[in-house]
Amino acid sequence: MATMTAPGKTEQPARQVPAPRSGARRSRKIRDNLTGHAFLIGAVLCFAVFTWYPMIRGIVMSFQRTRRGVTTWVGWDNYTRILADPSFWPAWRNTAYFTLLALVIGYAVPFFVAILLNELRHAKGYLRILVYIPVMLPPASALFLFKFYAYDPSDAGLFNAILRALHLPTSQWMQSAEATMPAMVIASTWMNMGSAVLIYLASLQNIPGELYEAAELDGAGLWRRIWNVTIPQTRLILGLLAMMQIVATMQVFIEPLILANGAGTEDSATTVAYLIYQHGFFQNDLNGAAALGVIMLVALAAFSAVYLRLTTKND
Amino acid sequence: MSQESGARTLISQAQLRRGKGRFVYWTLLTLVVLGFTLAFVGPLYWMVTGALKTGQEIAQTPPTLWPKDPDFSNYTDAWSNLNLAKLLFNTFYYAAGAVLFQLVLDTAAAYALSKLRPILGNVILGAMLATLMIPAIVLVVPQYVTVIDLPFAHVNMLDSPFAIWLPLVANAFNIFLLKRFFDSIPDELMAAAQVDGAGPLRTLWSIILPMSRPILGVVSIFAVTYVWKDFLWPKLVMPSPETRTVSVGIYAFSGGSSMNEIVAASVIAAIPTVVIFLIFQRNIMSGLTAGSVKG
Amino acid sequence: MSAPQYRRVAAFALAAGLGLSLAACSTKSDDDGTSADGKVTITVDCMPVGTEKELLANWNADVAAFEKANPDITIKSVSVGTQCNNPPDFTARLAGGTTTDVFYGYMTDLQQVLDSGQAMDITPYLTTDNIATWDDVDPALKGVFTDGGKVYGVPVKNYSMGLVYNKVLFSKAGLDPANPPKTWADVRTAAKKIAGADKNAAGYAEYSAGNTGGWHFTAEIYSQGGQVLSADGKKADFNNAQGKQVLQNLKDMRYGDNSMGSRQLLQWGDLLTNAAAGKVGMFVGAPDTTQAIVSQFKGKYDDWAVAPLPGQDGPAKATLGGGEGYFFKKGLTDAQVKAGLKWIAYQKLTVGKGQFDYPRAKPQNYPVGVPQPLLFTKDSATAKAEFELRKANANVDPSIYSLFEANQLPIKGEPANAQAIYAVLDSAMSGVLTNPNANIDQLLKTAEDKVNQLLTAGS
Repeated sequence: MATMTAPGKTEQPARQVPAPRSGARRSRKIRDNLTGHAFLIGAVLCFAVFTWYPMIRGIVMSFQRTRRGVTTWVGWDNYTRILADPSFWPAWRNTAYFTLLALVIGYAVPFFVAILLNELRHAKGYLRILVYIPVMLPPASALFLFKFYAYDPSDAGLFNAILRALHLPTSQWMQSAEATMPAMVIASTWMNMGSAVLIYLASLQNIPGELYEAAELDGAGLWRRIWNVTIPQTRLILGLLAMMQIVATMQVFIEPLILANGAGTEDSATTVAYLIYQHGFFQNDLNGAAALGVIMLVALAAFSAVYLRLTTKND
Repeated sequence: MSQESGARTLISQAQLRRGKGRFVYWTLLTLVVLGFTLAFVGPLYWMVTGALKTGQEIAQTPPTLWPKDPDFSNYTDAWSNLNLAKLLFNTFYYAAGAVLFQLVLDTAAAYALSKLRPILGNVILGAMLATLMIPAIVLVVPQYVTVIDLPFAHVNMLDSPFAIWLPLVANAFNIFLLKRFFDSIPDELMAAAQVDGAGPLRTLWSIILPMSRPILGVVSIFAVTYVWKDFLWPKLVMPSPETRTVSVGIYAFSGGSSMNEIVAASVIAAIPTVVIFLIFQRNIMSGLTAGSVKG
Repeated sequence: MSAPQYRRVAAFALAAGLGLSLAACSTKSDDDGTSADGKVTITVDCMPVGTEKELLANWNADVAAFEKANPDITIKSVSVGTQCNNPPDFTARLAGGTTTDVFYGYMTDLQQVLDSGQAMDITPYLTTDNIATWDDVDPALKGVFTDGGKVYGVPVKNYSMGLVYNKVLFSKAGLDPANPPKTWADVRTAAKKIAGADKNAAGYAEYSAGNTGGWHFTAEIYSQGGQVLSADGKKADFNNAQGKQVLQNLKDMRYGDNSMGSRQLLQWGDLLTNAAAGKVGMFVGAPDTTQAIVSQFKGKYDDWAVAPLPGQDGPAKATLGGGEGYFFKKGLTDAQVKAGLKWIAYQKLTVGKGQFDYPRAKPQNYPVGVPQPLLFTKDSATAKAEFELRKANANVDPSIYSLFEANQLPIKGEPANAQAIYAVLDSAMSGVLTNPNANIDQLLKTAEDKVNQLLTAGS
């Protein structure tokens, strides 16, 4: 989380506490601590019950199997079963591909849209509302729109009609193994990019104009100014959103569920999240699903370690 | 928006006023306005009018721009068959509760961690932040098993809104945002209040909170958006038709309804939030932009 | 900090802590359903949903009549959606322990229900005292709900798959509705004609998503005389001539003739909605699929007929059978189990009542005459009474089922581990239906490897 702490923020000095004599001081200290923990207790309980405990429970479950209401220890059985699942590697491949595409499309597009919007002097409010409207749709609404109208594989579909009008080859969209993931990313970007655009816009507005002026005086062109001023100045927020985006896209679930009815054609839409769901709730295999969750946890931990390493090295 | 037209951005004002720059600017503006309208309103238009078409017309090649014979039955059927009013109420209810629980419990916790700093506070903060990178899906199975049979209490929380509200309180990102914001409030202010005899609760209420409106706004908006967008968790913990959220309800409905009726339901479900958004867009936009960077 | 202030903080902490325990208290807790005055309450699921207006009215009327006849029993009905057993929801209910006291399940669900530890052994209660017609219920069906000599469920419906076809589209395409296809080659010819006559219609429609594709693959390989798993259940047994024929037939129709429509990756509701809209000529399904088309999807009953499942060169070698029943949740009281059985006996297993109330169904938009649910042993007294009442009140032309009824095929059940295997076979089905260059041998080989892997891993 190194990137998230704003540079230049100094640690505050310890609070000045008037120092009464020993006994009173100790009881005061205890009381202060109690007060502090009293404020904490609600959130801590929620973390304990709904995050910390489930993490341990998940690991425990992944080494158990419940059959006929009886739970037994089964060692690595759940892991062997999950690894033997024919959809295991496709699910990881698809999830990685989705994450990558979402970074290329879903991450870069909002940034450039924000830069563009920031340069326009007119119709600002209108454009901002436009990009944010899809965020307001219930995700199922937006996805059914894409599924039924945009990605209709016949020529009656919106996208195919447009492609045909432009004399371009049409696509089978969700019914084509190659188009499945890009189509899912397009839908997902459309419905989610509004928030990212607004956050970028806000951070763009905080860039002091003098920096651009200075760069211009140095003869920096448009792209140089973006590269040398805009990106470094928004690095903090870019890094933060990149992390959030990766975590969010790793758990892509509703997109395959609705757009591709789950697995898509020949497992081309199966994601890790969907596989967890398929094991837990279709195949009566909550333990296997828990094992897959643990595998994902380990993969993410490794990923964050690498990410932190890279970002801190650059500093 | 906070930015005045005079503020310097990537391209200077002067450059845009000059002959060629001016031409490029206006062309670009027109293109952007047209393109964005097409890209963001176009699909919505398609959705609203598509649901007015008959099953035959929607399968027609090439598609028609405006329904030949608008048929409202899809909308009326969707409204009566789906019980959308109940679904919308549920969703708003869960969102409101999520905001309330997050504001109260997370603010209190962040305040304690930032200002009261009790013993082991840093350990707790670390344990909370450690969950920042854990996506919900990783925990979905054990969390679900936990909610079914709460440890010690042995109660089943399925179909209870607390199954949505309480897990959302365990949100490290909120704690992080709030704590950072509170950290930026000088301790001297608090010390002054303390001299006046105000206890921690009074200080929080009358000094910290009024200064923290932007960040509280952001946390609220995030909470609402999260509940609005979440799917798998509410699908699992709110299994009965009476307690479903809009998204889950529409998905369940899609198993047994015609394509156009599903889209009609989707349109109706989207209307209230889009209207609310358009009414409050100024506050929402400035809330999002003000708080998120400084947080 | 002043003393009152301190107390307020403590109160705050308490409130925060209580938030959790209050949350706990506010959720519903189980009670044993028997009140002091000897009244018994049971909850029952699979109540028809609001869109099925007549079925729902019938159900409510049944509940009212039953409660009137049994004043000490209260039935609380729960609706769980259009599909009473949508696998993910069903699993969630089982895992969550939120099933009703008496809960609906498929015949293939027994294993899962037992694994969840939610099922009650009801063997000692299954007497003619509790269910008057119990001795006439087909022993084979009882066997399906039996494990280790113990019975866990009561069968309430039994079906086998056939070829469902749209008579209107048949006539439109110049085909004779009274003479439906008998072989897969006939199906292909008919599908081509239907697609040619109505360009918005699919001549033949098939599932390929949400595990339903694998389910139909199973039915179709049975029709070829094949099977999904070897007899000992340890190996996949579909990568052979029969399996190839199943996929080849589909490929020929999809890409050879383009007679299956362009929209694929269909699952249960998708296909039936299209069918109800008159856009599907033929599909594989049980006779009661037509009831779903009418009651849920607003189709017209008279448009549909059911023929026996086609085979490759002649009648099908076998067909896929299945059925439904009600399980009992563990921990019910003696009185509750008896009340539940009494209710099932009344609503599901009494000729002239509930699902067999043919005189009531006759004037409704609900077919009478369908050769279902085939619950009673052939030639038993109950079976005969049911048959007589059905014939007397038939509101549909018996000819539309006569072929199906006259040509009873051997019935095979679903494979063990059905859902996991179906998920694998889905991908073979979606491959052949969405990829014009799909290599059938490759698809089957991959699926075979995958199923074998699953079986070795012992899922």
